Amino acid sequence: MNAAQLLNGIALGSLLMVLSSGLAMIYGLRGVANFAHGALYMSGAYIAYSVSDRAGFWLALLVVPLALAVVGVLLELVFFRPLQHRSHIELGLITFGLALMAERLVVLIWGERTLRVTPPEFLQGTSNFLGVEYPSYRLAIIAIAVVLAAALVLWLRSTTTGLHIRAASQDIETAAIMGINVDRVSLVVVAVGSALAGFAGALAAPYIALDPGMGSAFLITVLIIVVVGGIGSIGGAMIAGMGLGVIQSVTTVWSPSVAVVVPYLALTIVLLWRPTGLAGKRVS
Amino acid sequence: MTTTAPTDVVSPSAAAPEASPRGRLKGTLVGLGIAVATLLAGLAVPYVVTDTYRMSLLVEGTLLSLLAIGIGFLARHLGLISLGHGAFFGAAAYGVGIATTNWGWSPTTAVGFGVVVGTGFAVVMGLLVVRSSGFGFLMLTLALSQALYALSVQTSARPLTGAHDGKLLSYDRDMTFLGLAQRDVMNPGLFWPMAWIALTMCATVLWLVGRSRFGTTLEGIRENEERMRFSGYDTFGPRLVAFVLSGAVASLGGALFAINSGYVSPDILGFTRAGDSLIAALVGGFGLLVGPIVGTFLFVYAQANFNFGGNLHLFTGMALILVLVFMPGGITGSLQKLYHRLRRGRR
Amino acid sequence: MTIFEGRGLTVRYGAHVALDGVDIALEPGVVHGVIGPNGAGKSTFIDALSGRKRPSSGTVTFEGVDITRRSVRWRRRKGLSRSFQRTSVFGAMTVGDQLEMVARRNNEEDLGEIVRTLGLEGILDRVCAEIAYGTQRSVDLAIALIGRPKVVLLDEPCAGLVHDESVRMLQHVRDVCKERDVAALLVEHDVEGVFRTCDVITVLDLGKLLATGTPDDVRADENVIRAYLGSAA
Repeated sequence: MNAAQLLNGIALGSLLMVLSSGLAMIYGLRGVANFAHGALYMSGAYIAYSVSDRAGFWLALLVVPLALAVVGVLLELVFFRPLQHRSHIELGLITFGLALMAERLVVLIWGERTLRVTPPEFLQGTSNFLGVEYPSYRLAIIAIAVVLAAALVLWLRSTTTGLHIRAASQDIETAAIMGINVDRVSLVVVAVGSALAGFAGALAAPYIALDPGMGSAFLITVLIIVVVGGIGSIGGAMIAGMGLGVIQSVTTVWSPSVAVVVPYLALTIVLLWRPTGLAGKRVS
Repeated sequence: MTTTAPTDVVSPSAAAPEASPRGRLKGTLVGLGIAVATLLAGLAVPYVVTDTYRMSLLVEGTLLSLLAIGIGFLARHLGLISLGHGAFFGAAAYGVGIATTNWGWSPTTAVGFGVVVGTGFAVVMGLLVVRSSGFGFLMLTLALSQALYALSVQTSARPLTGAHDGKLLSYDRDMTFLGLAQRDVMNPGLFWPMAWIALTMCATVLWLVGRSRFGTTLEGIRENEERMRFSGYDTFGPRLVAFVLSGAVASLGGALFAINSGYVSPDILGFTRAGDSLIAALVGGFGLLVGPIVGTFLFVYAQANFNFGGNLHLFTGMALILVLVFMPGGITGSLQKLYHRLRRGRR
Repeated sequence: MTIFEGRGLTVRYGAHVALDGVDIALEPGVVHGVIGPNGAGKSTFIDALSGRKRPSSGTVTFEGVDITRRSVRWRRRKGLSRSFQRTSVFGAMTVGDQLEMVARRNNEEDLGEIVRTLGLEGILDRVCAEIAYGTQRSVDLAIALIGRPKVVLLDEPCAGLVHDESVRMLQHVRDVCKERDVAALLVEHDVEGVFRTCDVITVLDLGKLLATGTPDDVRADENVIRAYLGSAA
């Protein structure tokens, strides 16, 4: 194993970190594992493809989260809020239906073939990082994702909205009684969570190949991360996401077949050893 | 997040109470009578439906129904929604493929082996997941079944599973599946009796289990797991047994599916396949045993007729959302509600 | 003669001590009440005794044997039973079905007697979720009484009941306890009801044991008057 492979792991981990923190946020608040999260990520990547084709990649990084935030608002207003008194499972299955539809819609709009996004010119080559030649764009992914994760944590820790989100994630009914506008908090969370998923997709677009199966492939990994990290725990999801990315990439070097099962293995071990996940909330 | 309130999707039909044991026995006998009649009537189907393509759709619907009633059984009696039963269906199918093609076993033995393999996976997965409920259960079954998919398409698994190419079944010409040579097994008209008998038998067994004392125990666990433990009941064992039983039914479906189609596609373990059966079962309705079967036949019909441009999942996704939002309980659940309302109206 | 005993029971949630070294001893045929203001640790106490919550320290003994680490299922099979503050029944099942189910497991020979005592004859084929709340509380109690348990821990059986129902419920508890020689623990919010029903009373405050004794002793106890009854009585 060399430094480049470790960096690959960190780059993958960074994407997983951004993606799973969004899922964990929505899960913590609405109690619904959003099965459409993979579809949001995929849509982000495809929109980034179209935007960067016409107006450049940097604009795409700005437009995509905004577009996906709008999708998140719709998700909240059309499904999550009106149906919040239904069982969580039903809501989850509705998002599953949305994921299925999104996968086909992407094919209808962009076609089934694999697409590629070129990174901005100055990030196309390699840079020297700690003595290794490493693709510049991947370094950018790491830097952006880490900054984003830090900003997210800071936002949740130090702003009033963040405080309300954390309170509502603990116990949504009590939070409502305490006078927190739960509907507003939920709207913010679902919008931000969706935007994060889209952003991860846009960020990933130049790094991976775009195909209509990319969403569901990632969804499984992200669901596992959220369970492993401890359901509803954003910090746990971030750590588990980064950890899994690194472990998986490092294992790939050693044996690709084993690497595929790493997430599932991690899930099984965590379930047996600590059924509540790393952060300790109960799987229910 | 332990919501013990029964979900609308899986809310049991308020069956007419049968207070006396005698009424219960009578109900069982009537049910068995209906099962036998259905079994016999179904055997006549190949004489009515002469078109091979239509017949093949009916066979497909019947075999996929085995998967769906497995899922439905768990949902109805334990309130657990599984996205993992495709794994048992698929593992059994691959088991049959490997036993015949790689090891030269006879198809009949291979089907038995396939069911054992699928059921074995159900035991392993069950041990890991039945402690959880609700979302935990849904996600864990999905994740663990996808682990199997990820393994099956690995290049290193190619000799066994054929990886992304799938697995073509081949066995000696003189070998038969319960008397049918490979050519005949793939003929839907000739294969139909086996599929139909398997479905009616499994449905009857699940129905009887649901009515038994064990079924009552499951119902108690579904309604209030904690109170069951505080009433002296083990709740892990019965849940595991129910999970494995439903997995075994799905496995039988998968094994027969493989032998009938002579090919195992890698999609059989995939993400969308896992969803299809759950959606079919949900749309049909979990409240009644026949709900998942109705849903599956509808799904197979839709697949054959509305799959233009490969947009099937656009429609199934939409159907899932519409059913969940507007008619929880599915088609059979809504019909049942209508029936009860009409009956009450008459009184 | 003590049949069931908790010694030095302590439950901590992180730094917060919800229950702090409480002792209790139950005797057959004696109704033992536990009262205390909100946050006194009553629910934690009954959870620790019944095995729903494992105590951080302290022991629970039953017939002289340490059962602190035994499962709730094991305890029920040996004759230790409890009811719940938030009604815990089997909602979608009929009353008859669920009582029979529990009776089967706990070798109850005379389910009819329990049904008669609690006045449930008329509703056996009703679906439990559809009957009145007060009646559901009776079903909850019936589930706990099936199988002639030797010890019954009742967590606020009168929660949510109107006054008349509450009086009747406590009368049932006392009757059953005396007739069947059961050791009963009654955690209640309704102080007046506890004084009327119980032979022995334990008062908790802020997770600590304040006093234990006969109703008259407790009523006269200065600590109790100061900390708890002061304003009310």
